[in-house]
Amino acid sequence: MEPDLELVTRCLTGDNYAWEGLLRNHTRKVYNLCYRFTGRPAEAEDLTQEVFIKIFQTLKTYDVAQGAFVTWLNRVARNHLVDHYRRTKKDRITSSIEDEVGGLEEKPSPTVEPIAQLESRERREVLQRALDKLSPDLREAVILRDLQDLDYDEIAQVLGVPEGTVKSRINRGRLELARVLKRMEGMRGSAKAGGQT
Amino acid sequence: MTHLELENLASEYLEGQLEAARRVELEAHLKDCGACRELVTDLRGVMELCNSAEDLEPAPWLIAKIMRATVGERKPTWREQVAAFFRPSPQPRVAYAVAMAIFSFSIIVNAAGLNIRKLSLSDLSPRTWFNQANRTGHLKNARVEKFYYDLRVVYEIESRFRQLRSQPSEKQETPKPETTPGGSTDRKGPDGTQLASVENLVTAAGSIGAVSKLAGKGRSPSQ
Repeated sequence: MEPDLELVTRCLTGDNYAWEGLLRNHTRKVYNLCYRFTGRPAEAEDLTQEVFIKIFQTLKTYDVAQGAFVTWLNRVARNHLVDHYRRTKKDRITSSIEDEVGGLEEKPSPTVEPIAQLESRERREVLQRALDKLSPDLREAVILRDLQDLDYDEIAQVLGVPEGTVKSRINRGRLELARVLKRMEGMRGSAKAGGQT
Repeated sequence: MTHLELENLASEYLEGQLEAARRVELEAHLKDCGACRELVTDLRGVMELCNSAEDLEPAPWLIAKIMRATVGERKPTWREQVAAFFRPSPQPRVAYAVAMAIFSFSIIVNAAGLNIRKLSLSDLSPRTWFNQANRTGHLKNARVEKFYYDLRVVYEIESRFRQLRSQPSEKQETPKPETTPGGSTDRKGPDGTQLASVENLVTAAGSIGAVSKLAGKGRSPSQ
């Protein structure tokens, strides 16, 4: 039996340790999915919690025939994120002081060199800013494919669209991302040049 | 192949999912078209950037927070309880405190004269500890006092001997006093008093013998 499936079965019998096992296996993935969608660590944390509460409440509706547990989990998370996006569309603020602080509080990994850590963090931030500029449809396709490493058919299941549409969205998303990154690079270059003169 | 067609197939090409015939067509187009080459390079850069982007670590308390929100507070297992009990032990201050406690305990046990291997119930009574410590303290004090007085006696005797040894040389240096013709066999005189005192000392051989034994034990041969 698939390890996740066994945990799900035990969860349904009221085994809290099995539920904790599921959380340990999937929290990181879901948190990163939420972070890529929102770009804010604190909001991603809240959304991760909401997603798992939803999973916990609807666990008995999970059907093995629909696919792997992780696909179902991704679908629930994605639907929740889209709902959240629609709900907060009007009052979304581009930046928040709280998130800035949250970003600064992020603990560095003790094993990675500081310079490499800084570069990694800079790359992540650049990518996040570029992702924020994409439309939700393209963004979720790129995130699921390139950041969550899901297959095309899994993404098709999660998004509930044909595989051809998934491929098209991923390609358009990447092209758009490349344009945004190029624009950002150009802006950064001109800002540096301006600073030097 | 047109620019638009290449744009639509670029991702599949980079992921190696394009049919062989289409790939050949696309590569032929790339050879002649600088703009499309740039597009493919940019797209490759995006994919590499995404692949190199590391996952963020969620806050360590997030799982516990979700657990509380879903199943409520969980009772820790006995293993977790044991682990929680010993968790502070690696800290230096805890190790220092434990070391000090062991050191203090060993001092008390030593002072009380307790034999840990043969402990009896009465040994654990504070009164026994006090009595033993009192006895040990007095014994040690008496030994120290005795040792001090013995040393003092030895020192006095040694200083006397030193004084006597230096006497003959002084005698040689001083001018000889005039003697009566025929000499004298009288042992008394300026030196007579000194020799008498030496004799007195030698008669106190009992005490000296005992003390010299002590000196032999308590002092090094060089002294």
